[in-house]
Amino acid sequence: MSHILKNKALDDFILWNNLKNGDERSFSLLFEKYYRDLIGYGNSLCPFEEKVQDCIQDVFADIWLYRNSLQDNVIVKAYLLSSVRKRIARLHERDHVFRKTTTTDVLEFLFDFSIENDLVEDEVTAERVLHLNKLLNDLPGRQKEALYLRYHQGLSVDQIADLLDVNYQSANNLLHRGLLSLRKEWKGSIPLLVLISSGLF
Amino acid sequence: MQKRNNYTEIEDFLADESFQLWILSKVDEQGWEEWTLENLQRAKLVEDARLLLLAMKVPDSKLSSHQVHESLQKTWFKIEQREELSRNTLKTRKLKIQRYWFSGVAAAILAGIFSVWFFKSDVLSNDNEITYKELVEENSEGLVEQTNNTEKSQTITLSDGSSVLLQPNSKLSYPKIFTGNERKVYLSGEGFFEISKNPKKPFFVYANEIVTRVVGTSFRIKAYPDQQNVEVLVRTGKVRVKSNDLVHAPENQEIVLLPNQAVRFARKDFVFNKITNITADPVLVNSATNIEQLSFEFTDIPVAQILETIEQAYLVDIDFPQDKLKDCRLTTSLSDQPLAEKLKIICKSIGNDTNYEMNGNQIVITTSGCN
Repeated sequence: MSHILKNKALDDFILWNNLKNGDERSFSLLFEKYYRDLIGYGNSLCPFEEKVQDCIQDVFADIWLYRNSLQDNVIVKAYLLSSVRKRIARLHERDHVFRKTTTTDVLEFLFDFSIENDLVEDEVTAERVLHLNKLLNDLPGRQKEALYLRYHQGLSVDQIADLLDVNYQSANNLLHRGLLSLRKEWKGSIPLLVLISSGLF
Repeated sequence: MQKRNNYTEIEDFLADESFQLWILSKVDEQGWEEWTLENLQRAKLVEDARLLLLAMKVPDSKLSSHQVHESLQKTWFKIEQREELSRNTLKTRKLKIQRYWFSGVAAAILAGIFSVWFFKSDVLSNDNEITYKELVEENSEGLVEQTNNTEKSQTITLSDGSSVLLQPNSKLSYPKIFTGNERKVYLSGEGFFEISKNPKKPFFVYANEIVTRVVGTSFRIKAYPDQQNVEVLVRTGKVRVKSNDLVHAPENQEIVLLPNQAVRFARKDFVFNKITNITADPVLVNSATNIEQLSFEFTDIPVAQILETIEQAYLVDIDFPQDKLKDCRLTTSLSDQPLAEKLKIICKSIGNDTNYEMNGNQIVITTSGCN
């Protein structure tokens, strides 16, 4: 499995380099590769689909127009997610001027986690998953965003720190604090035996 | 795969893409289950991670590849606008539409003129022109002729399952059943072909003075009797084009076309123009028919919608039991399959004795549902 991931990274490296050298095809390939992920993330930060699409297209347009000043050693996906976040943040800020809000965090993570209903096969599982889901959604937005970036976008702790503009330790805390509170609620409830016999096998 | 042997926490599993693929899409189910059952501690961890994953679903951005493509076009357009703005000079606008189409597999039709002269004829003689009528008369096999006198395209399904979307003011002559080791049809006008793969029986389309040979692919041919040019545009697969043997041309060369390439044959001059970059030709771009622009990549789409797309593309009517199929969704790729194949794949995917019957452009689907 890891060799597949390595190949992905190599592909991006090549495409990025080609893009820097003015290869339109590589640009288009990267666009098509990451567009959906970026839309997903954008939608978690801004409720207006059209604005999100515009932002992402503008991000890519900038990448092309300023390709000469792009860095070489870039993890493309992380870079793209970060650029999208910055752009949506700017948009938010500008609109903010006309609104009287006192939130210190410019951007809020808007998603609520939901349940994979098709994959929940019995009542015991359903109850537990529902419970977990509630706990997850009770977490503060920053923690949810960190969880989303790590487990849905596959970013490393470093990359998350970079993206959220915090240090490594803070990013780590965001990730773990969330799951920690989940664990506490977890532990009490169901005996080990039931766990093993339910669902999986 | 050994990486997972070192996992000690739920987070390790969650972050593992192959774990997610297993739980959410049943990829490598056996491998994972066997490994999980190897010890109790591990099984508990896996179960906890699984529950967490099931509780952590996020909205999916359900974008079709067509939509992604459109966004890519918009982006290039924005780039050009800004480049133009910053340059601020009066330049002849080189249409950079080619940027929109540089991606992966079969995209839509592009146009750009790269002239590659294959052969010339000094003699502009009418003797060299071959018409549909002559070709059909010459052919001794019993042929069926279908003419499209309507304003909309018509779908013809051939005996091998291939489909031809015949445009208005066009006609196609074809044998009721393909016998022998060649499949031959004769076209006057315009059609979009989706040919069933059969390497043992190459498919030939005779259109005016050129013959197009394919094995299994999709492409468009334009050969109107009163027009100067004959055009062949390839969408997928590979196609070979040459002038008809009957024609007394100085040379008889074959041109091979790959996806997104086209050839324009100037009838008077006997000249082939191969277009390898179908970008700047607005005529070719604008004439792309509906079917060439619709996406047949479906991810978790209701069957009713898929059938509607097919109705739109082939201008057929599909009758199906709506209540039996209302909760059925499919993930499938139907691009470049002839109509008959598309229907077959859909029926197979729904399962449970699902079948279709086709009578002209009326299709009836019988099914007991998808559960």
